[in-house]
Amino acid sequence: MTGTSLRTYLITRLALVLPMVFILLTLVFLLLRVAPGNPIEAALGGHVPAAYVHQIERRLGFDKPLITQYGDYLWNILRGHLGTTITDNRPLSQIIEQNGAATLELTFFAMLIAIVVGVLVGLVAGRYRDTPLDVFGRLFGILVYATPVFFLGLMAQLVFGVWLNWLPTSDQASPLTQALLQTHTNIYFIDAIWDGNWGALWDVTKHLILPASTLGLVTAGVFIRLVRVNVIRTLRDDYIEAARARGIVERRVVYAHAFKNALVPVITIVGLNLATLLGGAVLTETTFNWPGIGHELVLYLENRDYVAVQGIIVVFALVVVAVSVLVDFINAYVDPRIRY
Amino acid sequence: MAASAPAAPRTPYGRARLLALGRATKPIRDASGIARAMFWSGVAITFFFIVLAVFAPLISPYNFNQYKSGGIRFPQLGHPSAAHWMGTTVQSSDVMARVIYGAQTELKVVVIALAMSLTVGVPLGLISGYFGGILDRFLVLIMDALFAFPYLLIAIVIAFLLATSSIGGGILTAAIAITAAYVPLYFRVVRNHVISVREEPYVDAARALGARPRTVIRKYVFFNVVQNVPPIATLNAADAILLLASLGFLGYGIQPTQGAEWGYDVSRAVSDAASGIWWTGLFPGLAIVLLVTGLTLVGEGLNETINPVLRRRRFGRFEFEPVPGPTEEAE
Amino acid sequence: MARSKLRWLLAVLTVAAAATVAVIVATGAYGSANGAKSGAVLVDGTTGTVVNIDPANQYDYDSFTVDLNIFQGLYGFPHGATLQPVLATGCTHSTNLKTWTCNLRHNVKFSNGDPMTSADVKYSFDRVQKIKGDQGIYTLLSYLKSTSVSGPYTVVFHLTAPDSVWPYILSTNAGYVVDKNTFPSNKILANTDTAHMIGTGPYVLTKFTPGQQAVFGLNSHYWGPKPKNGGLIINYYTSSATMKLALQQKTLDMAFQTFTPTEIAAMGKNKSLTVHSGHGVVIRYLVFNVKRPPFNNINVRKAIAYLMPRQTIATRVYHGTVEPLYSMVPKGLPGQYDAYKSLYGASPNLAKAKAAMKGLKTPMPITLWWTPTHYGGASSDEYVEIQRALDASGLFKVTLKSAEWAQYSGALGKVYGAFQLGWFPDYPDADDYTVSFYQTNSFYNNGYSNKTMDKLIAKERAATTDASRYSYLKQMQILGAQTLPTIPYWQGNMIAVSQKSVQGIDSTLDAAYYMRFWLISK
Repeated sequence: MTGTSLRTYLITRLALVLPMVFILLTLVFLLLRVAPGNPIEAALGGHVPAAYVHQIERRLGFDKPLITQYGDYLWNILRGHLGTTITDNRPLSQIIEQNGAATLELTFFAMLIAIVVGVLVGLVAGRYRDTPLDVFGRLFGILVYATPVFFLGLMAQLVFGVWLNWLPTSDQASPLTQALLQTHTNIYFIDAIWDGNWGALWDVTKHLILPASTLGLVTAGVFIRLVRVNVIRTLRDDYIEAARARGIVERRVVYAHAFKNALVPVITIVGLNLATLLGGAVLTETTFNWPGIGHELVLYLENRDYVAVQGIIVVFALVVVAVSVLVDFINAYVDPRIRY
Repeated sequence: MAASAPAAPRTPYGRARLLALGRATKPIRDASGIARAMFWSGVAITFFFIVLAVFAPLISPYNFNQYKSGGIRFPQLGHPSAAHWMGTTVQSSDVMARVIYGAQTELKVVVIALAMSLTVGVPLGLISGYFGGILDRFLVLIMDALFAFPYLLIAIVIAFLLATSSIGGGILTAAIAITAAYVPLYFRVVRNHVISVREEPYVDAARALGARPRTVIRKYVFFNVVQNVPPIATLNAADAILLLASLGFLGYGIQPTQGAEWGYDVSRAVSDAASGIWWTGLFPGLAIVLLVTGLTLVGEGLNETINPVLRRRRFGRFEFEPVPGPTEEAE
Repeated sequence: MARSKLRWLLAVLTVAAAATVAVIVATGAYGSANGAKSGAVLVDGTTGTVVNIDPANQYDYDSFTVDLNIFQGLYGFPHGATLQPVLATGCTHSTNLKTWTCNLRHNVKFSNGDPMTSADVKYSFDRVQKIKGDQGIYTLLSYLKSTSVSGPYTVVFHLTAPDSVWPYILSTNAGYVVDKNTFPSNKILANTDTAHMIGTGPYVLTKFTPGQQAVFGLNSHYWGPKPKNGGLIINYYTSSATMKLALQQKTLDMAFQTFTPTEIAAMGKNKSLTVHSGHGVVIRYLVFNVKRPPFNNINVRKAIAYLMPRQTIATRVYHGTVEPLYSMVPKGLPGQYDAYKSLYGASPNLAKAKAAMKGLKTPMPITLWWTPTHYGGASSDEYVEIQRALDASGLFKVTLKSAEWAQYSGALGKVYGAFQLGWFPDYPDADDYTVSFYQTNSFYNNGYSNKTMDKLIAKERAATTDASRYSYLKQMQILGAQTLPTIPYWQGNMIAVSQKSVQGIDSTLDAAYYMRFWLISK
């Protein structure tokens, strides 16, 4: 049914968000409570007698019936109380602020590199289809995509860190810089600029180069393929034929008309690939000791700290859902045929 | 409808099938130039790994966890040498043996995962797309929720959960974890295609004639829709290998005693690499890159040939029929 | 026109990007030339995780390492592995060992200037017992009935049972003295609450970024000798490989806990780094559930004891960073006795193992459990070696199974028949390495209960002289080796790696296993 107003579409779309998030939350709860082992045992098993362990578990409410725990869980989330982690006593809000900001910094710069590299190579490959340029471009795209991000990261660390010793291989900043840096936004790049601390800015940038490039390159592989297909598709369109028929110089046809329109779906592509980026961020963060939220999730999962895992997945789910709604919204704004 | 079917009202079923197959693969046989080169080189690479996987016991000089031969232990972290072409690991196993057996593990997991995803995703997509209604809405909701989520996280959570259950860590666990991540994709693609196909006149006509839904789906919708699946399936196989390697790298994959797995080997090699020991990580890593590249080339090649937007037909020499009468000079 | 607008936009973007890059590089060059004076601050790396800094609720080594810099107890290990009074000047006990009276040092100030008195000591102990933190450290004070004060510099502890090792308990973080003015009596301080995390130690916690960094400044009110450095930063890493790279690139001055054996071997060959190694107190041992077949048969356990490949594990898996262990008590602690060596020999003995298994069906299928990450990645290699040794004897057919720590630690003897465990002491004394394992209802649920052993434990706890205590400990070690609830196999060295210019690490490597950062300079 075309012709629905944008507002109706937005409201419908948002209304669908709630069930999605609810389903994800329930799944997370079930998965974690059903899995054997709990964080208390993880912390204390191996040196504290069982009687004490049970005592503590009882005190923390681990023995309440599952339904009660589920109810408490939902009620807390509704109130916005994501809680404090069990294994290291950190408020969830702090984890989201600090580690979320770190992941944001990494994924932002990685996305920047992915877009620049991906779009450029994709445009060239699509424009000069079936020439050596195209072949190299596509092979490059396939190869970087096929390289697991942890393997690429490892090689990068070895080459640039160990053998050439040009760049640091871990953390967001060197220890002293990090100790002295005032945190305002927890995004070190911005904080350094905020304080006018140029030494720190240089340090932070150096630390960003390897992780962001690794993640960015691997993601660029996807962009190359998508942009290339779009360019080819656009170049075949009728209005391009018309432009050529009118006698417009090929170069102008390509740059002024085809490229512009081929890039419109880039927003969608970026949004759709957010999930891939977040997944890749987990591996990149692990390789480079980057204190991001994906990495924290993996660590807390190992320790069965379900308070932490639930909280982080809730945040992940909300971010992913928000971005997908935004992308759908932009698409609907641009192309009225898509609205419900 | 089947306009190119022979005039006889009842075609032998088998022959009709062969014709359909011929029609389906025509684009591949028609492919030209780069697409063709990509497709066939991808096939070659993938075939190479399949051979490695199937004939692993015959090709590999040692078993994947073998640490001695003839009573003498292998060197620990030994350099590549005549006896061990790719060197040895920290547990004194041969790296090349682990790469070869790793191909077996990877392909086993991916084939099982693909089979499971297709068996679950395609029928669900077909039913949901064809019948619509509440079931459709409900399934779309769940699948969309999962689809937007990073594959890796879904797989980690499932692998983690299953590893602690009776199934234990292993090939089946990894396969199920990967399936969970990819079912939404197949569902979505198949469903979207079914929705566009079911409005086609020939499907409408079949329904008007009183054909049961099952027949309509089987005869008309299914083959139409399933054409889309192979390129996606190969690209997903490529993705699945990366996902399996990632799980192995994080420690949620195959247990080392049950089989060799490339991602796990790279994770163990990380600490070696910083000490200048490059062979324990480089070879499994390259194996991942190569196999995924091969599968992607096959997928890309298929995409180029089947996707009409990208397809380029090979044009033969076009012969005009001789026109009787005045010569060509005539106006 | 659209085209020129686009071109203009592109041009502006390119210039802006180039300018940004130029500015960053230029200021970077300037910045690093006039960079922050790193001066005398010591930068240390570690792969651990801090759980809680508040001493009332932590029971793990990494949190303890942080606390060591900020807090102190009545007793401690300031130099070497001998217990010495720190905040106390001495303690006396009643004849029945149930009442302990301790005199406090005068003129000790907290880092915020508050004077330390007996009220703070009572407050600290009451607090631990009241909060009963979920990390379980309060269980160390299970003998403490109450604490009372008698004047500003005297504290009296009333115990429920005789405890000859009470001063050792005072040296653990259950006994750390905190400032009653800044610590709430009924809840735990958040780790980032550096303003209230006040103790009497040589350093002050100035900043804590969870999972990343702990930053320490000097305590200007410290009563003891000034630290040999101007401050301390502990950097946290998740992987030892990244930590090693950071060390090689000189980002870190030193690193302590925990490298893989391969990494240590490689760093030993590195000319610019020094590997410091001393006797350690961490042990690894195999536990049997003595009620679960086939391990309920003592002959099966004996055969495994005869076949344990200690030397292979120490050299092949750990490259000499651990040494073979023949008692649950590690070498370096007084009262240690190599009971397993005298009973089962120093090396594997196939003939005796076969003799022990006579009459039993061989190869006997058994399952050994281990855990992949909690005790380091080399655990996998370790158990593969044990499997190889047992299989090669022809007496056993070993299946290895593993589970992640979170699940493993809850299962132990409840589920497994034979499993890997490691032990890190609450306090460096042979008592902690025997009573915890040999008492009935020990923490790992292995069903072991031996009346003779229980009597020995009671006698040891009530012993009034060192000599008698050590003689009971020796008997406990022998009885343990005879009845085989466990088989110890290695004892780890205390290892730290540093740049060549760093001094003082060797003075802090001893059986107390304290990393005394204040003794280290660069």
